[in-house]
Amino acid sequence: MAEPAPDVLQHSEDRKFTLKSGKKRWRPQWSAGMALIPAMTITIVCFYGFIIWTFVISLTRSRLLPVYKFTGFEQYIRLFANERWWTAMQNLAIHGFLFIGGCVVFGYFLAILIDRGVKAEGMFRTLFMLPLSMSFIVTGVIWQWVMNPGLGLQEAVRALGWTGFEFNWIVRPDRSIYTLAIAGIWQQVGLCMALFLAGLRNIDPNIWKASRVDGIPVWRVYLHIITPMMRTVFFTVFILMSAIVMKAFDLVVALTGGGPGFSSDLPARFVVDHILNRQELGLGAAGAFVLLCTVIAVISPYIYFELKKERGGRGH
Amino acid sequence: MMKFSKIAASVAFLSVGVSAGALHAQTAEVLHWWTSGSEQAALGEIRKAFEAKGGTWVDTPIAGGGNARAAAVNRMLGGDPAAVFQFSIGQQLRELADQGLLANVGDVATAENWDEKLPPLIVKAAKYDGNYIAAPINIHGENWMFYNTAVLEEAGIEVPKTWDDFIAAAEKLKAAGVIPIGLGGQPWQERIMFNSVLLGVAGREFYAELYSTLDDDLLKSETMRKVFETFAALKPFVDEASPGRNWNEATNMVAKGEAAFQFMGDWAKGEIIAAGIEPGTTVGCAFAPAIDTAYIMTVDAFAFSAMDGEEATPAQTLMAQVMLEPDVQIAFNKKKGSIPARLDVPADSFDVCAQTAIKTLQDKKTHLVSTGLFGVPSAVSGAIDDTISNFWNSADMSPEEGQAQFQQAISYAK
Repeated sequence: MAEPAPDVLQHSEDRKFTLKSGKKRWRPQWSAGMALIPAMTITIVCFYGFIIWTFVISLTRSRLLPVYKFTGFEQYIRLFANERWWTAMQNLAIHGFLFIGGCVVFGYFLAILIDRGVKAEGMFRTLFMLPLSMSFIVTGVIWQWVMNPGLGLQEAVRALGWTGFEFNWIVRPDRSIYTLAIAGIWQQVGLCMALFLAGLRNIDPNIWKASRVDGIPVWRVYLHIITPMMRTVFFTVFILMSAIVMKAFDLVVALTGGGPGFSSDLPARFVVDHILNRQELGLGAAGAFVLLCTVIAVISPYIYFELKKERGGRGH
Repeated sequence: MMKFSKIAASVAFLSVGVSAGALHAQTAEVLHWWTSGSEQAALGEIRKAFEAKGGTWVDTPIAGGGNARAAAVNRMLGGDPAAVFQFSIGQQLRELADQGLLANVGDVATAENWDEKLPPLIVKAAKYDGNYIAAPINIHGENWMFYNTAVLEEAGIEVPKTWDDFIAAAEKLKAAGVIPIGLGGQPWQERIMFNSVLLGVAGREFYAELYSTLDDDLLKSETMRKVFETFAALKPFVDEASPGRNWNEATNMVAKGEAAFQFMGDWAKGEIIAAGIEPGTTVGCAFAPAIDTAYIMTVDAFAFSAMDGEEATPAQTLMAQVMLEPDVQIAFNKKKGSIPARLDVPADSFDVCAQTAIKTLQDKKTHLVSTGLFGVPSAVSGAIDDTISNFWNSADMSPEEGQAQFQQAISYAK
């Protein structure tokens, strides 16, 4: 080997270079990896680990304490024979539809009104955002008083002279679930408005100029041009609000206590009640697992569809 | 070192007997959910007696029964148990004992002869494997009917003795513009009223058999249908704002004369006293209408964690002993509004309602258990609350449907 061929030399040079740069790249990756370990561990153990554990518990006879005597799907059979569980699941669907729908519609509407250049914009924004600073518990208590037929709105309006006035949804088993949506929307609409407003402010002003030149009425611009452009904001709002619906527990506890009867119960409350108060660990775990499956079944097609569309859109 | 001194203490304690325990510094952490004024005052009586005997009391109050029970169990599983913790007696406690998590206070119980002095049903619930794992300290009654005497007088009504009388009286009251039943529309309160109806219509033997066997034939019986019919007949007698109301608000309605009757446990007396009324005067107490006399009991109890094995530590033994001392029983229960768990303590310093209860309980046939905390497994207890509340709040559900749902829910839960 007197003289290496130039391409070999080049190659070895190349290799050296890649090695070097590989090392350079490797170091920040290593520290980033280290930094991620705690978060990863917590996610894997507390999230996925406990999902598995919950499923395992749901296959046992556990009552007060976890015991590992497996009984197959007996807890699921008991769960599905439980009328209260089905009421809770039905309520979840009703509440989810009304709450998310209400937040999107009212939030978007308020954002448009503010975007039209209302006077004292800052004041309105703060006003609508204010309920968000309260916890669901406080929201629940406030609305419980407002809607109590003996001392709230109904009594106040009757005292003004309209003695036939009725607003007693909170004590009516067939209506109580709607009161949850009212209180929930009241609290969360500000956040939705803020998100939509941020989206509206990002719209290219030239679109408005162009539409004005073309003489398109304002409502049509919003409906047919702006709204489709806001797709990602709608997506964000939907995901955020869905999470709130699925977790809904404190609101129902404070507002109706699940009542009258169990007419306004929600699955999360069912699960907590059975695990903590009734010492029915197995049944509660089964409920939690079914709830998780429901969430995945409902949300994942939408996320998949949206993300796919976004990726496809970028490809153009 | 700690361990050695503990062993030394227990050796000394065992050799000299119960009274010698007082000679050593004894620390017991007490975990409980009694955070309201009257509850704190009542527990203070036990604390005073415990400290007078040389004990050191470490107080760990946790608001809410469910939270406190969960905390007690979690700490036990985590290896840092509270020496003494409030718990309901019955199946759940036995489950803890099954896992070897509890200490037994059998020595004190034998020395003090608890077997003879406590009602047999309570003895049964407080024992595991023949040994006491909890100290039951009081008895609350759940089939009380509180009424406003002035309101009844004005309407010209006697205190009803049967449910038919009650319904007739309630119609009169409603016509006179008074709310006949002040009800807090929460599942457990609706269940208290239901159990009073069950006892009143079907009798004490039926009640006892139904809840001890949970037998399908009894649940499907004609008698049970009559119970549901009577219960349904009460629906028109509550006001619109009842759902979700707290029990003490309902008690205040009776105290103020807005409502005539309330079916509630005897803890309502605390609220009546707080309103400046002596129970048995303006607000009267009677047993809910019934064909025979009985007392639906619910019990507060303290259990003992296994600290070093299943033998109770000296502090735990002292605590158990103090809790059931006659003087402490009287002082505690007068403040709590309940009656002593021991039926042999003198009744004369109690109010009229409590005296009636103590007298009633001397006859063992009157002893019944509540389905709330210790009479039935907690799953059944929950199923009862759910279906009763659902039936009570569904305007269009017939008594037959209610009965069928009740039977089905119980058979799935048991």
